[in-house]
Amino acid sequence: MAIIGSRGRTTAPLPPAQSDELTRPEAAAEAGLTVVNWIDERAQLSQGLRWMMFRKVPKGINWAYTLGSATMFAFLNQAVTGVFLAMYYRPSVTGGAYQSTRNIIDNVFLGQFVLSMHLYGAYLMIVLIFLHMARVFFFGAYKYPRELSWIIGVVLLILTLAMGFTGYLLPFDQRSYWATIVGVNINGTAPFLGPYISDFLRGGPEFGATTLSRFYAIHMMLIPGLMAALIGFHLYLVMKLGISAPPWLKAQEPEVAIEKVEV
Amino acid sequence: MNQAEKEQYLREYALLKNEGKPFFPYAVAKDAIMAVIVMAVIMLLSLLFGAELGPAVNPTTTTYVPRPDWYFFFLFELLRVMRNAPKLTDMATIGLPTLMMIGLFLLPLYDRSPERLITRRPVALAAGIATILCMAYLTYTGAEVGSPNQLVLPIPAGLTKAQKATFLAGEIIVGESGCEGCHEIGTYGNNGPGPLLTHIGSILRPGGIASTLKNPTAPMPSFAGLAKSSPKKFEELVQFLSMLHYKSSSWTG
Amino acid sequence: MPEDPHSKSSKYTADRGMPGAFEGETVTRRRFMSAVTHGAGGIAAASFGLPALGFAIGPVFKRTQWPWQIIGRPEDFVETVYSTKIVTMVQGIGDAGKTVAYVRKRDPAIDTEPHDQYNNYIALWNRCMHLGCPVRYVQAAERFICPCHGGIYNFRGQVAGGPPVRPLDRFYTYSPPPGERGHGYVYLGPPYAVNSELQRLSLRDPAQPLDGIGQYFYPPQFDTAKVPSLQHLPLPPTVPGT
Repeated sequence: MAIIGSRGRTTAPLPPAQSDELTRPEAAAEAGLTVVNWIDERAQLSQGLRWMMFRKVPKGINWAYTLGSATMFAFLNQAVTGVFLAMYYRPSVTGGAYQSTRNIIDNVFLGQFVLSMHLYGAYLMIVLIFLHMARVFFFGAYKYPRELSWIIGVVLLILTLAMGFTGYLLPFDQRSYWATIVGVNINGTAPFLGPYISDFLRGGPEFGATTLSRFYAIHMMLIPGLMAALIGFHLYLVMKLGISAPPWLKAQEPEVAIEKVEV
Repeated sequence: MNQAEKEQYLREYALLKNEGKPFFPYAVAKDAIMAVIVMAVIMLLSLLFGAELGPAVNPTTTTYVPRPDWYFFFLFELLRVMRNAPKLTDMATIGLPTLMMIGLFLLPLYDRSPERLITRRPVALAAGIATILCMAYLTYTGAEVGSPNQLVLPIPAGLTKAQKATFLAGEIIVGESGCEGCHEIGTYGNNGPGPLLTHIGSILRPGGIASTLKNPTAPMPSFAGLAKSSPKKFEELVQFLSMLHYKSSSWTG
Repeated sequence: MPEDPHSKSSKYTADRGMPGAFEGETVTRRRFMSAVTHGAGGIAAASFGLPALGFAIGPVFKRTQWPWQIIGRPEDFVETVYSTKIVTMVQGIGDAGKTVAYVRKRDPAIDTEPHDQYNNYIALWNRCMHLGCPVRYVQAAERFICPCHGGIYNFRGQVAGGPPVRPLDRFYTYSPPPGERGHGYVYLGPPYAVNSELQRLSLRDPAQPLDGIGQYFYPPQFDTAKVPSLQHLPLPPTVPGT
């Protein structure tokens, strides 16, 4: 079985008794199933997956409930396009950042498109995260037992705005530069700690050689890593606690015994 | 929520959930369609507008007008709203946003009433709508703010060709003289420390405007130098200001 | 009641009847092992966490080196008009490390702050003291105007309106007297901050007030540059053939 799994779908040999009865697609499906079974026999993921996928969602779920998953989808779009932009981008202050961005826009095949997707993906993600938040607020979905989901969600909102702020510098045009100067100085107005926060963000007293690479590292690794972990936890809580029901629905008196109800 | 209310909620939720449908494929189908819509919007925007790159970084600029991206317009405008209270600058930059964030963070900890229906939560409804309106207003006005070195007003009706030329020249002179640093003209400029100029032409005669420009009250600088070095510009400036009769209430510029 | 040798409250494991307890042993093996696990894990995490943290926050404690730079000849500057000079703020990063100084000759009639060898020429930094946008000098109005949130400064760089919290930052300037190295040139030194009385104070970021109670909220940074020595003023490169 291990050999079949490693050879992949189409070339997998089948037991001779069945091979002349199966058409080619059927054989492929059979082999694929074997691979899935092989993995599941060891990892035993199907149980968790079944719990995740076939859990019940309460009555009355409507389109407003898709905003959270839409936000996550925008995040995935950012992650994928971001990785591919990083293949062409050079975080160098002495012209590399600006020139490599210019190169992505002008020369790279589909470069302009992928960069735009990253840009508008960010815009859309911010819009969706606010809409999702408004939905949760007006539906009272942050109340018991989902308080922790809300708090993690607020952290995710802050991190998303921080992504917007750090990503803004990377193309290194005039807008980027001045937005960063102002943004760093805004952080610098925090009493007592402000001056040190500014120095930390800039990597020195003035906008210098390492400021851009600092922002790049924060934008590309630090915050996305945190966000992915927090999104995972957020989703776990959603599945564990269940999707909140629309607040206008009232439960009918049960015909079945409550003991049978799976919480 | 006390223990009884918590248990009551869990019981009702369990019932509603029991009446519901499995997550897959019913809820997932909606999510997937939404994901398609999200991708379609992203791609459409990318294809229609694309991404553009501005001029390269130049910290030695003296003419560049920095503006944030649209989702920080609210903060930008908040800072402009608070501009006449320099002592409160750090309240606008750090204080207010931090308080808002703490308020959001702790929301489930201070709003612990069991009621979830928004129509029965008047405080939450009012606070939510007020927040949304404030953010929308600040974002909108932040987006409208022009450069302080530029002035484009609707040309008043009934001007002769020569007057029109003076009007356009006057706009440029006002822009480059920095009048908008202290004066508000229509939607342009700063409200204070100088008086509103939107309808200065209805208040002062040209002679009065000229003498005010030459001998102003502090802290306004004297424009006697301009009258000496280029009398034509000074005359155009005076003529332009005397043409300003806009009504601030029905401002549409 | 006589003391029970097998009491749960005894600190000796032997007294508590634990199997295999040693004489005089007070820490159970389970407790010991969990302490070792926590300790080792903590040390392992700290051994990569602390150096990385130090690496990231190191620049906060760095002091800037600031050489004198030539910005022109004395006759280039007059009392009534600011001239715009591009100066290097951060070495080695090209255009991104440059900034603008507005320079004029000191006018004793209006410049009432104490006179010394470092302010024969008044050099203002074009960084707005609200949040750091580039201010623009408007000659007609004799004002510095910020394009962002409406800051205005008068001819001396003091706040004339809007949100800035202190006057425009300045640079040390130096013009060597006859016979000294560098005579015939105007040099620009490190920047410094001023309060509303134009007293020199160590450099701070924009939006950090230096008057009233606000100044105590923002400690001066470690990185304020010292006035460099006047011994080794750089001379302009000699043009071949002259």
